[in-house]
Amino acid sequence: MTEFTPKIVAFVCNWCAYGGADNAGSQKLEYPAAVKLIRVMCSGRVEPEMVMQAFRQGADGVMVLGCHPGDCHYRNGNMKALRRFRLFSRLLAQFGIHQDRFVFDWVAASEGKKFQTVATRLAAAVQKLGPLSLTGYVRQGEPS
Amino acid sequence: MAKKDTLLVLCECGNNIRDKIDLEAVRAWALGDSRISQVVSHELLCSSAGKVFFTAALKKFKLRHIIIAACSPRAHENTFRSLGVKAGVNLADVNLANIREQAAWVTANKEIATQKAITLIKAALARTEYHEKLELRSMECLTDVVVIGGGIAGMEAALLSSQAGRKVTIIEKNIALGGRVIHSEELAPNMECAPCLLSPRLFKIKDDPNIRVVSFAEAVEVVGFFGNYQVTAQKKARYVKESCIGCEACFEVCPVSVKSDFHLGLGSRKAIYTLFPGSIPAGAVIDRENCLHFKDGSCAACVSACPFAAIDFSEQDETLSFSAGAVILAIGSETHAPIQNRRLGLGLLDNVYTLAEFERLANSNGPTQGRILLKNGSPPSAVAVIHCAGSLSAEGLPFCSGTCCVMALKAGEFIRKQIPAAAVYNIHDRLVFPGPEMQSFFDKQVAHGTRLLKTPDLPSLTVAADQGQLLVTGKNLQPLRVDMVLLATGQQPAADSGKLADLLGIERSDSGFFKSDHYFLRTTGSTLDGIYAAGSCLGPVFADQAVLQAQSAAGEAVSRLVPGRQIELESMTTEIDPELCGGCKLCVSVCPYKAVSFLADQGVCAVNEAICRGCGTCAANCPSGAAQAKHFTREQIDAELEGILDD
Repeated sequence: MTEFTPKIVAFVCNWCAYGGADNAGSQKLEYPAAVKLIRVMCSGRVEPEMVMQAFRQGADGVMVLGCHPGDCHYRNGNMKALRRFRLFSRLLAQFGIHQDRFVFDWVAASEGKKFQTVATRLAAAVQKLGPLSLTGYVRQGEPS
Repeated sequence: MAKKDTLLVLCECGNNIRDKIDLEAVRAWALGDSRISQVVSHELLCSSAGKVFFTAALKKFKLRHIIIAACSPRAHENTFRSLGVKAGVNLADVNLANIREQAAWVTANKEIATQKAITLIKAALARTEYHEKLELRSMECLTDVVVIGGGIAGMEAALLSSQAGRKVTIIEKNIALGGRVIHSEELAPNMECAPCLLSPRLFKIKDDPNIRVVSFAEAVEVVGFFGNYQVTAQKKARYVKESCIGCEACFEVCPVSVKSDFHLGLGSRKAIYTLFPGSIPAGAVIDRENCLHFKDGSCAACVSACPFAAIDFSEQDETLSFSAGAVILAIGSETHAPIQNRRLGLGLLDNVYTLAEFERLANSNGPTQGRILLKNGSPPSAVAVIHCAGSLSAEGLPFCSGTCCVMALKAGEFIRKQIPAAAVYNIHDRLVFPGPEMQSFFDKQVAHGTRLLKTPDLPSLTVAADQGQLLVTGKNLQPLRVDMVLLATGQQPAADSGKLADLLGIERSDSGFFKSDHYFLRTTGSTLDGIYAAGSCLGPVFADQAVLQAQSAAGEAVSRLVPGRQIELESMTTEIDPELCGGCKLCVSVCPYKAVSFLADQGVCAVNEAICRGCGTCAANCPSGAAQAKHFTREQIDAELEGILDD
């Protein structure tokens, strides 16, 4: 059996979090290669269905990263996203997805180190949980 | 079967990518891909030679999709999209796969980095299938400016806009221009004569054919967006025709005397009055509330006294409308004099004044013609200034206005100028004198005799009448007997700021002042594009900063609204498909720019693409999928997800 390498998808806003990942790059801060980014203009663009789609397509962990409160390029899209994903993360268990597989956080364009930390931490958490196997909706899934 | 219509451009980025990713392996994979038709590579694509190479490749292969595997789109998406557009490729069809920041630089193992680079290219490829053309859009704009508020900031904004050739309308609530600076005799720290500062500018405005002053008027409706605003103002009847020159002949015969707002209630004016001699506009106004003609028709003294036959009792309020590309708010602030200051005697004891009121007493156009006198008509021999009155407290102003300390010390200079022997005390806890000019002003006042009494217990102070004088007592303070007490009160938002903010749809900060679009970068931009703010309506400032902010606001407005030039609009806006829209208005409620509106007649929502900035928040909230963020549609993102997870 081959070793499990968790696949992580990060939805990142163009202005802060994507910049944070770029900053990690510029500083040569290594993070697991299985962490891959989907750029959107604002974290407010990310729909819960997109996160579910990522899980369905084989992601073992998903993050949504936006600008810190008050820093949103579009004034407050990040706060709209926060409200949405706070609720969403509480519903994950019903889909048989452990809450630890999902992270919502703020990463500033200057926070390469934070991006590395958040990405590495999620990868480690997912590594511990093992591969995600989605069997269906609304079930007694992984313990939360 | 996917079409082979993609050109993959690999950038080596010197050794940055070349050494970390096996580009030969990437090329080999790409040549086997069903969508990639050509692969080219360059050692540094963003260099001059690289750009020439890129353009040549576009022209040579003439492929629909261009994927550049290189650095971050934050660095060079615009670079290559511009080159693409010049070479006839659509904006949407030039895309970067960020194999430098996301693979080369963060992955030590070359094999893994190479695999990740291929995955990133796959993701970019996957979404191209769903790409739709993006339009470079622009719009005609109005270039005139409306300024609301005619104090020093509003006047500056108008003059600067006019200098740039724009037509300006100043809507002033009061009967004449001048704002609060005209309330002062001299401005600290250099004690410049305020009327001397303002007067030439007032006349410049009067003589400026580009500037129209609409005084005694208030904005009642503002509709539109950056580049295209319609401002409606309600102008009150003056009952005095424009032929009035402000000669004051009518003042002598008017039998009605009322408290003057201009003198902050400390002096009086007649029912026919001007703001101050030499005001702009110069003409008088009849105060309808108090004029006997309007009360009972018993008086028309002014009519016969006027040498210009300017009195016109039949004048009506008017509704006026102005078109403008931008609106600049300069409505100023107000003195914060809360009820809590009653324990300091404000409004209860004679000879207790706010600094603003004191400025009127010290002003040659004030109620005492500038003589600093007690209520009994004699000059004070001892004056106490109490700092932070009503400020820095939960029940008053929770912040430091940063302007009152300087005004407090200035009072001492005014007093000593008239009454050299008078003792001046400043009772304070903290003092704020930022910068060398203010500090040396402070040092000078102390050297000239202003005495500082420090107590950490300012909130414990009380002022009481005592044997014809005022007694200031409090914890950690020797009781102090004086003739006059001045309260250094802070600045609060103007009473109208809430109403105006609602009218315009702009946000205010927690303190109630208009909120800047960005604290550092767009201080004088409000939270709506094309609505600017300057002066103390953004927060307490000195006159110099108010002028700077006005220059900033007007500067940005006129540099963005140029006659004959179109405004560039966002390409990646959101569209709402009326066929799918259920009219739930969720999108209206989440849009930070008020770009979405509900079309009642059609029962659907629509995006104004002149305002939309393309954040896509409405698309994420749309329950029916009617709202789609261009270039970030569900289909495109789902495809990208499939690509990114395909390894």
